[in-house]
Amino acid sequence: MQLSEKELGGVHILLIEGRFDAHTSTPATEWLEEKSASTGARIVINFSKTEFIDSVALASLVSAMKRCRQTDGDVVLCELSKPVKIIFELTRLNRAFQIYETEVDAMVGYGI
Amino acid sequence: MLSDKLRIAVVTTFPPGTGSLNEYGFHFVNALRQKFDDVSEVLLYVDALPDGEAYPPFEPDSGIPTTIIPCWEFDALNNATRILKTARQTKPDMVLFNLQFATFGGKKISASLGLLTPALLQMWNIPTVVLLHNIMETVDLKSAGYAGNGIVERVLRCFGYIATKLLLRAELVALTIPKYVEILESKYKADNIVLAPHGSFDDTVHQPVFELPEGPMQIMTFGKFGTYKTVEPLIEAFEKLQRRPNADLELVIAGSDSPNAKGYLAGVAEQYKHVSNIRFTGYVAEEDVPIIFGEAAAVVFPYTSTTGSSGVLHQAGDYGKAVILPNIGDFAEVITEEGYTGEFFEPEDVDSLATAIANVIDNPDHRRAIGQQNFLASHGIPIAEIVDWYLLHMQTLLMQKPNRNGPPTVDRTQLA
Repeated sequence: MQLSEKELGGVHILLIEGRFDAHTSTPATEWLEEKSASTGARIVINFSKTEFIDSVALASLVSAMKRCRQTDGDVVLCELSKPVKIIFELTRLNRAFQIYETEVDAMVGYGI
Repeated sequence: MLSDKLRIAVVTTFPPGTGSLNEYGFHFVNALRQKFDDVSEVLLYVDALPDGEAYPPFEPDSGIPTTIIPCWEFDALNNATRILKTARQTKPDMVLFNLQFATFGGKKISASLGLLTPALLQMWNIPTVVLLHNIMETVDLKSAGYAGNGIVERVLRCFGYIATKLLLRAELVALTIPKYVEILESKYKADNIVLAPHGSFDDTVHQPVFELPEGPMQIMTFGKFGTYKTVEPLIEAFEKLQRRPNADLELVIAGSDSPNAKGYLAGVAEQYKHVSNIRFTGYVAEEDVPIIFGEAAAVVFPYTSTTGSSGVLHQAGDYGKAVILPNIGDFAEVITEEGYTGEFFEPEDVDSLATAIANVIDNPDHRRAIGQQNFLASHGIPIAEIVDWYLLHMQTLLMQKPNRNGPPTVDRTQLA
């Protein structure tokens, strides 16, 4: 798994390339934990290059989203690849997260 | 935001009750009781204990206030109306069912009538979520002791279809295995099914101890026996292993009779009283579970069929145990999907089982490798995080529907 991060207008954006699963999730999970620890953290996860996601990875996203929402922040998702989209639909977590077609839409969603 | 935190009722078996899924109910409820940000009260709709015994109350400071309400009985015919009455009196925001098909009874009629409960509650506008641990489509009814012949099996399948349709009247039906989701979605054309992983019972991650205690090497099986979990082939395999030179083994049969097979273990104990070094523990209290698993060299699953993902397998994984599993298509597929592994044997084949056990107990490195993989698989997601998923689903559902007591005030940013 490869991570590319950037920050735009106070929004933390993470692009996850490759597999995001129990065996590879630690760096992304640690990144999520670090960013979501700030009050009102606004995070975008870009899944356009994510080949696979499992329930362990989903759990780390849910935890980060909960932490962010407790302080009026959020974790939103964008550009879900097909395998990622299937897992979100299977777990119905697509209804709990805000999901955008593009990274730009996600930024607009944050009012950037 | 939701104007109030949720009051959640959980229909479940719960220790010291010994019904199926009591372990899952225990760990799920304990995790739910720690969700102070989301939940204001937990109502436990549990089955009445025998002889009027009372459930021990929760310690006041151990979590969210929790009221234990024994309001149904295993094998009673009126469980659905009793639970409905309780729900109407206590007015939870959501009722979660921790279910398998025989939760409400070992008899066909009582089991079926109990499964009407979620639909009945929905009719009264009480939102329900069902966590269904097995599906009728993958249960071998004959082996599970529910169908003696083909006609009965067909009738039961028909009832199973109707029961599943009724369960799908719930707001949401959660299944723990992707394959089950696919089966129900395609067969029942349902769009309210969700995958929610089983979760690990032990949320304190610790490295397992692979060293074994002094004394005979313990081969252990754990569960409720007599229907599709039968120990006769295991005892006969154990006899074979004991005949080997320098064998120093003990067979630990941990658990009690299945509600559908009362007296089974007593009969087995009598039948095999000539076999030495077998220990029948009877019901294993929660505090003794770590000892039973911790001391075992291997955990055997003497199943002739399966009814879903195995809570016992997750427990074995929690303790880093090597497992010996039946080579049943569904079970092997399920556990592989979940990341577990083990030594496989052909169901009811004594020689195959003896060989599988020997492969584990004779090879410490192999035993450790299996245990390590199972430990990693079981610690994938603590059940406390799975509870978060359920809470998210419940909050989303409640956002979408008018509240019985007026519309909810919703602020999406607080859905955490």
